[in-house]
Amino acid sequence: MTIRDKKVIYGLYNDEQDLLKAVKVAKGAHMDILDVFSPFPVHGLDPLLELEESRLHIAGFIYGMIGALTAFLGMTWIFTKDWPIIFGGKPYWSVPAFIPITFETMVLFASIGMVVTFYTVCGLGPGVTNPTLDDRLTDDKFAIAFDASHVDAGDVESFFAKTGAAEVNTKIL
Amino acid sequence: MNQYIMPGSQRTLLFSGMALGLLCLVLSWFVGADEFHTRFWTNLLHNTVFFTGISFIALFFICVCITAWAGWYTLFKRVWEAFSLFMIFGFIIMIIIGIGNYLGYHHLYHWNDPASIETDKIINHKSGFLNKGVYLFGGLFVMAVWYLFARKLRSLSLAEGRDGDASFSYHHTARVWAAAFLPFAGFSSAFIIWQWVMSLDAHWYSTMFAWYSGASWFVSMICLTLLVLIYLKSKGYYEQVTGEHIHDLGKFLFAFSIFWTYLWFSQFMLIWYANIGEETVYFRHRMDNYPVLFYGNLLINFVFPFFVLMRNDTKRKFGSVGIVATIVLFGHWWDYFLMIKPGALHTAHELMGAGHGHGHDDAHGAVEHAAHFVSGFTLPGLIEIGVFIGFLSAFLYVVYNRLASAPLVSERDPYLAESIHHHV
Repeated sequence: MTIRDKKVIYGLYNDEQDLLKAVKVAKGAHMDILDVFSPFPVHGLDPLLELEESRLHIAGFIYGMIGALTAFLGMTWIFTKDWPIIFGGKPYWSVPAFIPITFETMVLFASIGMVVTFYTVCGLGPGVTNPTLDDRLTDDKFAIAFDASHVDAGDVESFFAKTGAAEVNTKIL
Repeated sequence: MNQYIMPGSQRTLLFSGMALGLLCLVLSWFVGADEFHTRFWTNLLHNTVFFTGISFIALFFICVCITAWAGWYTLFKRVWEAFSLFMIFGFIIMIIIGIGNYLGYHHLYHWNDPASIETDKIINHKSGFLNKGVYLFGGLFVMAVWYLFARKLRSLSLAEGRDGDASFSYHHTARVWAAAFLPFAGFSSAFIIWQWVMSLDAHWYSTMFAWYSGASWFVSMICLTLLVLIYLKSKGYYEQVTGEHIHDLGKFLFAFSIFWTYLWFSQFMLIWYANIGEETVYFRHRMDNYPVLFYGNLLINFVFPFFVLMRNDTKRKFGSVGIVATIVLFGHWWDYFLMIKPGALHTAHELMGAGHGHGHDDAHGAVEHAAHFVSGFTLPGLIEIGVFIGFLSAFLYVVYNRLASAPLVSERDPYLAESIHHHV
């Protein structure tokens, strides 16, 4: 997700359990959470935030199929039409010998395809600098962020105080 | 409900299944096409090896989990303990087969034919390992050790559930026993499978065979675990076993189906590529004369579970994972059918064809003979399905009986809390 020129108000939590409780409270009060940040995947956070299941694996399946077909049909064409060679007395179209390469190509296409897709969707890539909310979010802190223009500042401050946020900051991204 | 009580209707059903199995087993003695009653003996061997292996792998996997400090399985570990206690019944039948082999009551194994040992160079060369003494007494030793460990781990688990305390002394003891079992199980299971199954094709060998058949046992064990758990949950037991545990078992089913395929293919491709006569004989025979079994094996045990279980939700839903478990359990029974039946039939034809014993050079006639459809060998007949149902009923009866003899959840296991809160 890319955020640009937004005033973000966020609270830092020291513990994932505090974070989960705070998210529940925010949901109960119908507060519009912009995003939640954590250094590692927190169990039970996805359903709370009602995040949709990622469709990346469907793309991965398609890339894998393309890879498998590319290798298999490619070898079929090469060894039966383009440049037939007899290896060890085997027929030209030797399916068992094609399987390992088909498998490897499938893995290669699926993995590279998924990385490229993921980077594209996330707006990542070489030379891209993404603004960070707080450096400690990659270490030991958890944050709930609100878009300051969508929520009442007083509500948010009292929400953070109530749910035990260790720190409340504002930042323009 | 922490105490399983076996309902009378279940008892009746399982006993009818066993009766059916016994009837089919007796029938297979009389309807067999050959004078050696090969159909009867192979049915007995096939089902015994399959279910004893499931029992062994359950014990092996308990030991793996204990050694690896795993906690997710603790809620339903009594199911695997119950599986492992079926072992003794399988061993009794294997000892009967071993004694039958020792006294020459059956001709399952080509290497046990005295004339072949004299004239057949390959069999003669292997006779130090493949002989009736090693088969019976070596097997007896391995089975005794396995059963000792099964009993010991079960009794430690029961004692812990009864009067375990914060010192976790029972668990520490169980860790030592589990760690001791793993290396022994690794080597002895290879010995057992070479003797019981691989030597049916006495001229052939494969260094991957033990892994390949072990993976087959493992997948079958996971299938049965899923089916037993889904059944028990439908009856209101194991409320704390959730989609999370089923999901993990589903992942094991998915992953080990692929592992099985990997081993199957590695074994096949190396032999296919090298094209050495004494190695290709196994696959040539099966591809030419048992094509439905051979290719069906791959469809049912790889293509089907691979594409169905690939998605996240099909591993979690009891319906979909239950259907896959049922079909793949049958699939691996089919896999063992393909390992055992063609070799035994070939041996029978060879021994009959030359009046008990001749050199390997005359084997061509026997191969041609096997190309005809032989009921109960080329495809599993109704009798084979009946025997399978009989053995399955006996296995499940022992499992439910053992489950009923102890609380379903071990309340004092140190990993219980982890298992209850398991989340994937």
